[in-house]
Amino acid sequence: MSARTPTWRSLAEHEGDPAFIARVAAEFPGLARVLAEGPDRRQVLKLMGASLALGLGGCDPGDPKGRIIPGIKAPPGIVPGIENEYATASVLDGYATGIRVRHQAGRPMQVVGNPAHPASLGAVDPIAQARILSLYDPDRSHGVSHGNQQAGWASFREAFERRRTAIDQRKGDGLRILTGTVTSPTLVAQLAALQGRYPLMRWHQCQAVSRDAVRLGARLAYGRPVEAVYRLDRADVILAIDSDLLSTAPGHLRHARDVAGRRNPVAGPMSRVYAVESTPDLIGVMADHRFVAGPREIHQALTALAAAILRQGSPQPGAPAWLAAVAQDLAAHPGRALIHIGPQQPAEYHALVHALNEALGGRGRTFDLIEPVEAAPIDQATSLGDLIADMADGRIQDLLILGENPVFTAPPAFAEALKQVPFSVSLGVELDETAQATTWHLPEAHPLEAWSDARAYDGTVTILQPQVQPLFGAHSAHEVLALLAGDRAPDGYAIVRATWAKLSDDAWHGALSSGVVSGTAGRPVDPPLRSGATVLPAPPDRQITLLLRPDPYLWDGRFANSAWLQELPRPLTKLVWDNPLLVASALARRLGVGNGDLVKLSAGGATLTVPVWIQPGQAEDCVTAHRGWGRRQVGAVGKNAGFDFLALGDGPLSVEKAGGTYALATTEHHNPLDAAPDGVVRHGTLAGFTADRQFLQTPDPQASLYPPQPAGTMAWGMSIDLNACIGCNACVIACQAENNVPVVGKDEVLREREMHWLRIDRYFEGSVEAPRVLLQPMLCMHCEEAPCEVVCPVGATVHDAEGLNVMVYNRCVGTRFCSNNCPYKVRRFNYFAFARDEVRSIQARNQEVSVRARGVMEKCSFCIQRIAAARIDADKEDRAIRDGEVVTACQAACPTQAISFGNIRDQASAVARRKASPLAYALLGELNTKPRVTYEGRVRNANPAIVEPSA
Amino acid sequence: MTMEILAPEVTAAGMTDEICDIVLTRRLRWWLPCFVVALGGLGLLGAAVGWLFYAGIGIWGIDWPVVWGLAIINYVWWIGIASGGTFISAFFFLMRVEWRTALNRIAESMTLFAAACAGIFPILHLGRPWFFYWLFPYPNSMGLWPQFRSPLLWDFFAILAYVVSSVLFWYLGLLPDLASLRDRAAGRTGQIVYGSLALGFRGTARQWKHHRAAYGVMAAIMAPLVVSVHSIVGLDFAGAQTPGWHSTQFPPFFVFGAVLSGFASVLFLAIPLRRLLRLEAYITERHLDVLGKLLLTSSLCVAYAYAMDAFSVFYGAEPAEVTMFMERAFGLYAPVYWTTILFNILAPQLLWSRRARLSQPLVMAISLAVIVGMWLERYEIVVTSLHRTNLPSAWGVYHATFWDWATLAGTVALFFAGFLLFVRLLPVLSMFEMRELIAKRRGRP
Repeated sequence: MSARTPTWRSLAEHEGDPAFIARVAAEFPGLARVLAEGPDRRQVLKLMGASLALGLGGCDPGDPKGRIIPGIKAPPGIVPGIENEYATASVLDGYATGIRVRHQAGRPMQVVGNPAHPASLGAVDPIAQARILSLYDPDRSHGVSHGNQQAGWASFREAFERRRTAIDQRKGDGLRILTGTVTSPTLVAQLAALQGRYPLMRWHQCQAVSRDAVRLGARLAYGRPVEAVYRLDRADVILAIDSDLLSTAPGHLRHARDVAGRRNPVAGPMSRVYAVESTPDLIGVMADHRFVAGPREIHQALTALAAAILRQGSPQPGAPAWLAAVAQDLAAHPGRALIHIGPQQPAEYHALVHALNEALGGRGRTFDLIEPVEAAPIDQATSLGDLIADMADGRIQDLLILGENPVFTAPPAFAEALKQVPFSVSLGVELDETAQATTWHLPEAHPLEAWSDARAYDGTVTILQPQVQPLFGAHSAHEVLALLAGDRAPDGYAIVRATWAKLSDDAWHGALSSGVVSGTAGRPVDPPLRSGATVLPAPPDRQITLLLRPDPYLWDGRFANSAWLQELPRPLTKLVWDNPLLVASALARRLGVGNGDLVKLSAGGATLTVPVWIQPGQAEDCVTAHRGWGRRQVGAVGKNAGFDFLALGDGPLSVEKAGGTYALATTEHHNPLDAAPDGVVRHGTLAGFTADRQFLQTPDPQASLYPPQPAGTMAWGMSIDLNACIGCNACVIACQAENNVPVVGKDEVLREREMHWLRIDRYFEGSVEAPRVLLQPMLCMHCEEAPCEVVCPVGATVHDAEGLNVMVYNRCVGTRFCSNNCPYKVRRFNYFAFARDEVRSIQARNQEVSVRARGVMEKCSFCIQRIAAARIDADKEDRAIRDGEVVTACQAACPTQAISFGNIRDQASAVARRKASPLAYALLGELNTKPRVTYEGRVRNANPAIVEPSA
Repeated sequence: MTMEILAPEVTAAGMTDEICDIVLTRRLRWWLPCFVVALGGLGLLGAAVGWLFYAGIGIWGIDWPVVWGLAIINYVWWIGIASGGTFISAFFFLMRVEWRTALNRIAESMTLFAAACAGIFPILHLGRPWFFYWLFPYPNSMGLWPQFRSPLLWDFFAILAYVVSSVLFWYLGLLPDLASLRDRAAGRTGQIVYGSLALGFRGTARQWKHHRAAYGVMAAIMAPLVVSVHSIVGLDFAGAQTPGWHSTQFPPFFVFGAVLSGFASVLFLAIPLRRLLRLEAYITERHLDVLGKLLLTSSLCVAYAYAMDAFSVFYGAEPAEVTMFMERAFGLYAPVYWTTILFNILAPQLLWSRRARLSQPLVMAISLAVIVGMWLERYEIVVTSLHRTNLPSAWGVYHATFWDWATLAGTVALFFAGFLLFVRLLPVLSMFEMRELIAKRRGRP
């Protein structure tokens, strides 16, 4: 990387800065003289000694746009030790999810959910949480560059000004702007204004993870663009076909909450979920019945459903037997059934699903149609194609790429054509592939640094407010567009405020503090369904179909430099730091390969050698590859991680064994199929539950010889509802962020030394071809008779009066006997100084939690710092801690509210009620450890008409 | 052929001359090369320990489910080897067994250096070794005590008591012989060094009386100590509820195992030493025969323990225990289990034959097999138990790294370096006890 360092890190970099010398002269006249002369070798030591004094010396708060030097007197409104939270949104591919940012000592430190926001309801996904890491990422783009050489904003403005004159004369001909999907009202207004000014300008949109099929499907079905908003809490029967409802669809956190609310039979009547999937996704985990289906079977299924529900055509022979039962079940629940199909399926399928949903009477009940959330719902593939063609033809003189990385995510033709553009500008947070390929690169303000606005899946607008002054002199897309419009000193705040000029100051502040502009949610519209049957295109006749899916955490690659997301175990494979090709066991057998063996893929004239991973439940004729890996221009974390499957061309795919192996790191260090979940994840069917509500209970373990724990008024406990857990890992990252859990890197995960305090155990049940997945979040059980405590020779892990099993890091000498004696294996050991060596910046650490040294054991503390904070508040008001006052980090992040926490002595508390559920059980209770964490067993609402081989 | 514990030509004076000669005048050609090799190994140990302290215990192969590895295995192995000497010198002293006399110095020295090797592992194995003294109940300003319920604490006490007592016992037994060396040393240095070490022992009747009493008392302390130390080591495991460890038979099981490896090690050292130092007149075939029988007996005890270990798994029928045992016997680490059985149980069965007991190469081979087998047994107990615990999600594997092996090799070198110095600088037989034995045998005072 070239020396883009506008901020200073050492005195040496500052030697020539007159402003700095003037400041020094005011305080240290002697030193200023030395500095002005420039240092020689003999002075280096003196300077080093002085640097400490200088750090303390520069203590006026100064101009906020100037250097940030830590002050002794805190700025107004910041009280040390008192935290604050500010609402904003995490925007992914245009769609906003409300978040709040926790500030400690005036610095943003953690991303949490926003309970007031409809797409969050308090939950937060891993990607949003990891944004705090990218904010402080030392590999971020530090400054303007021209031809990959360091330049300044001034020189860019000058060059841009010259171009603008030319653009003006051409009336915008040859000027193109490329963005991702845009929902921001401000950006749209700016683009519209620009279009007015430069009539011949064109705006292209292209999002790497395409939702074109969703757009086009709605257009096919209703004759106009509309957006479907699902009301899953009202659906009694859900059929999810290759669906991303719970994992990546806009509003997925809300979907998860709504579905999970109907999944515990103790709380109310259960819904029934069917999943038809080529490759396992989160909805398949939650499903009562999951069917493995390749492209042909999905086509068959839709044809059969059309025949059964729409009386359209006739079912083809050979349709799977379960289809009739599913169709019957759907038809039997008019107005309470819903079908959802994923964005990777063709538009015609989507159109058919819309027709089916209308026929099932779901409109206004299980789903609503609203005006599109996007500002301009166009076919993005066409838009990108046009852009590439125009660039290649030399018709484009000026190109502005705002926040996207098409050189990596678009076909290689883009990068080739880009070379024909004389003046190209990329605005990006990272120095990515596109930044290297354009003539100018501008550092983009991080989403937590800039003013903006965006809409959520249901149209609700959130004003994004900066949480901190831009760290590297970066600017937002709004400011760059304003520059293009001729505004010489663009101000992000003024631009966004102008869009919302109709809001009074009170309403504006209300919107900022709540994170929601009230009354902006989309109103249902009522377009009629177009008549006429949809003709489904025949599925491509391929032996093996490559399913290119976004990585659940790296997405299209934009988060590749996030260590948290790299090391977050993928929900079903538990893989970290890599993206092997996921194959069915039958295909692996046919190829003669196992996990980690290399295969050669060829498609469209390109070849790629990658390792494979056997994914139980994968369709035999499909292989899955996750995008976003194998970035070529990326920071230190994302380097050499994974494979870029975009290198493969279109056309039929062939897979052959290549010989050789590749080390793949996973956090499940054993053959998953060996591990029987019997008794560990207790589960049964709804029929079993109805017959005997206690059916998951086992006899109580024998009495203990030890006296019971002292019975105080407070006893912290947790209940985890396995019916709700979808394995999204939001809790894992929340725990990592809250408790300063270090990332260890691929090599250490290969050595089985990952540090996550909270992990999600995954078990398979049934055949390797179509197993059932059982998930179990696993954290310290805070056993009342904790086996770890008796074996520690120095008393470094002890019980407190409220039943917490606490770990005294300073006392630990590292015998590790506690881990040996922990039946749940939830203790993690610092084999090296992981916290010292990780890339997490010190600003992104929670100040309330100590960082653990080398040689020390650590584990879940039930977020003891949050308990302490609540206790202080309660003590000040001379009262007991209220139920719900302490929310653990994992509990807060969970989209499905699977986790309840509180005082189990308080019979009215939520957790006590959950623990009284007939489904509640203690894991390994027979060991008499009396865990304070209990689970609610998993119940499947199986359709009696469907017989599964391994039921 | 009747086997005597003394060759017919042995006399008290001749024996004393010969043993003192080894130390004071004899040139041992093989000694220096061996010692240089041992010093090289010590260098490796220094490097391994230095790197360990600098980088952290992550340089070893231990991981999340298998948090204990070679360090604990080596510790238990060495302390087991150490038991042999104590057993022979203290236990058989109290039993007034005559054949013990020629072997006890070698055996005790072996104990000393093996215990030293064992003693460093619990410290190296700590995550923060510089705080090892926190296990000690010393008065401190924070009013903190160690946690008395932990087996590790008692292990710390037991090891400390054992090492200290072993050194004292060994040194006490050396005193009269050091005095002999002092009296016979020709050079001034030898006189001063041995004279200082002899602590003024002049052989007066009063001194002999006190010496005898003290030695007897020490022996009476040492004999139960050797049992307690291995019981505590067993409780280090049995005190945990981990499948494969949680068994009430572990304390005697560990004593059996320790004694087996102790006798094997004494044989493994005595046979070559007897030839190299020409001690055939004092360490006779009778000695080897007796040691062979002891090896066989302790092997049978261990066989019983293995059988009970398997039996209790299936008798208790805890699913986790059964899973762990099946994995131990038929899984990834099955070769370790079956090699253990072969080396510790089957190989020693050859010693039922008298011919086999008297075949020195064969006995050497069996001893080596047992020494290796006992190491593998500890590997099996530590690693296979931890890699398959109650919760399937926490199953994993363990592979030792270069630094694990370097530390083990380094302690072997430490042992041999110490033992070679002992051979070179101190009398390898307990001369004063030999003189008593000769006098008793020859019927003369």
